[in-house]
Amino acid sequence: MSANKLVNKEKRRNIILSLLLIALVLGICGYLEANKYTYSYMISIIERSMVYAVVAVSMNLVNGFTGLFSLGQAGFMALGAYVTAIFTIPVSQRPSVYYISGINPVIANIELPVIVAMILGGLVAAGVAALIGFPVLRLKSDYLAIATLGFAEIIRACIAAPQFDTITNGSYGLKSIPGFTSIFQPLILSAICIGFMVLLINSSYGRMFKAVREDEIAAEAMGINLFKTKELSFVISSFFAGVSGGMLAMFMRSIDSKTFQVALTYDILLIVVIGGIGSVTGSVLGAFIVTAGREILRFFDEPLYIGSINVPLFRPGFRMVIFSILLMIVVLFYSKGLMGTNEFSWNGIIGFFKNFGKKKAKKVEGAAR
Amino acid sequence: MSDNIQNVLQMQNVVMQFGGVRAIDDLSLDVNKGEIVALIGPNGAGKTTAFNCITGIYTPTSGGVSFNGSSIKGKSPDEITKLGIARTFQNIRLFSNLTVFDNVLIAKHLRARDNVFSATLRLNFAEERRMREETAELLKEQGLYELKDEIASSLPYGLQRHLEIARALATQPKLLLLDEPAAGMNPQETQELTDFIVKIRDQYDLSIFMIEHHMDLVMQISERIYVLNFGKLIAQGTPDEIQSNPEVIEAYLGGSEDA
Repeated sequence: MSANKLVNKEKRRNIILSLLLIALVLGICGYLEANKYTYSYMISIIERSMVYAVVAVSMNLVNGFTGLFSLGQAGFMALGAYVTAIFTIPVSQRPSVYYISGINPVIANIELPVIVAMILGGLVAAGVAALIGFPVLRLKSDYLAIATLGFAEIIRACIAAPQFDTITNGSYGLKSIPGFTSIFQPLILSAICIGFMVLLINSSYGRMFKAVREDEIAAEAMGINLFKTKELSFVISSFFAGVSGGMLAMFMRSIDSKTFQVALTYDILLIVVIGGIGSVTGSVLGAFIVTAGREILRFFDEPLYIGSINVPLFRPGFRMVIFSILLMIVVLFYSKGLMGTNEFSWNGIIGFFKNFGKKKAKKVEGAAR
Repeated sequence: MSDNIQNVLQMQNVVMQFGGVRAIDDLSLDVNKGEIVALIGPNGAGKTTAFNCITGIYTPTSGGVSFNGSSIKGKSPDEITKLGIARTFQNIRLFSNLTVFDNVLIAKHLRARDNVFSATLRLNFAEERRMREETAELLKEQGLYELKDEIASSLPYGLQRHLEIARALATQPKLLLLDEPAAGMNPQETQELTDFIVKIRDQYDLSIFMIEHHMDLVMQISERIYVLNFGKLIAQGTPDEIQSNPEVIEAYLGGSEDA
């Protein structure tokens, strides 16, 4: 009985703490939104982090939870971004966007609400992923990575191809994409996307993904169809990559095919690795740390004078050196990423601080002796 | 024909060829309902290959495999598991980083009626609850319930073997294939395992087909034994017949031509 009560008490405490956290996040966002001209720089960092968090979690779903080393994320983001952009650019603006080759009459007058366009973008990405999955998901580890990387590049090349000029505007890119109306829009969108993926990971299908990751032969012997399970994970992941691509298009307001080069995939892989392969919390934290870290380190790009001496190395590009060194430190000393495979929980956090306190107390005790 | 109905598993003239090597050469055997049958033979005789042919990891080069009278040759491992054949592995293959509970729960999904959306959005929580209840029940029956939150790889070796069998039972099999269940066990553990195998056979109404090297275990509980050497069946019969069969003794002890 008393143990039950204790659990209930803990549960109630956790619910209260969670509500407080949500209130705090909403409060901060509300404050930023109210003063958006003062904090526009910070808001843009946060919005970008939210977009990256969605795609990082989607990548983690495939790489961390299903154990498939896939590097196609940028390609699926490109599909989502272009579909969202094509259907949300206001019809009145379109002649000025497609001023070179004109616009394909089929899509010229279709304008969709942002959410519908984004879901459509996700579906297109998912559909392409389903097709690509048939040949590609029979490969393993590095081979799968190379194949998905190749397909992502093919998607990007198709988008830039002059044959599709009237749809994608080729190498000129798309502009005049409506941006986020407020910081709450990306917040809610990313919360829904990540929430869905967390529910999926904790469902019976998420357990099947993990079984495939742990041991394919044993998973098959437990009646799990390997191909179907991998395909499912790959398609769902690509759907959310597509949605996050749509969000990225809205965030950037103008996109072109160069936005979705392989470097974008590596950025996201970096977030996943730093956060911890197999941890949703880690991916979200990683998205914010990496995005914010890049910006904060801009300090190193400015020339620095101590007195009248120009300190060497402080010049544009130096921050990437520092950033890389920091990354190496993280990878060397936290080889499993910041979170490993752990997830956020209040019990975990409270336990951490309790242990921390104990350790400190012990140290103090030791020093006193 | 009448005893055909009793046949749970039947292998007919199965050949498994890898390049120029015949790992299994013309193997015919059957397992009847409720029987415990052993497959023995020296290392490299092709015993595990035979198991892999049954469970669909390999498709036999020629010959037929049937389960409950219908052919399962060429079916994929997950389809065969759904039909009611479960197995354990020579080198334990648990989902190492997952808990004991999750290991068994995953096997329960096999017969779940849900799809990815209903499962994600928790629309049919009754199905999820049923799986969890059945898992808890099975773990209690197996005396593993206290360990349910342990990570599988942290269990001692003997318990990992036990968990692997429990996980196989969770798929509700009619035929259980055990690949060296007593490997690495001491005589006392082997004796416990012997009793355990008979117990689960009766409790879950199984037929059991096993590969084993511990002769005391094999001789104690097998009703029939097949002996394989270099992919060929060299003997079959009751434990007594096998123990006195000169060919078997030759295969195991090196044979008389050396003398």
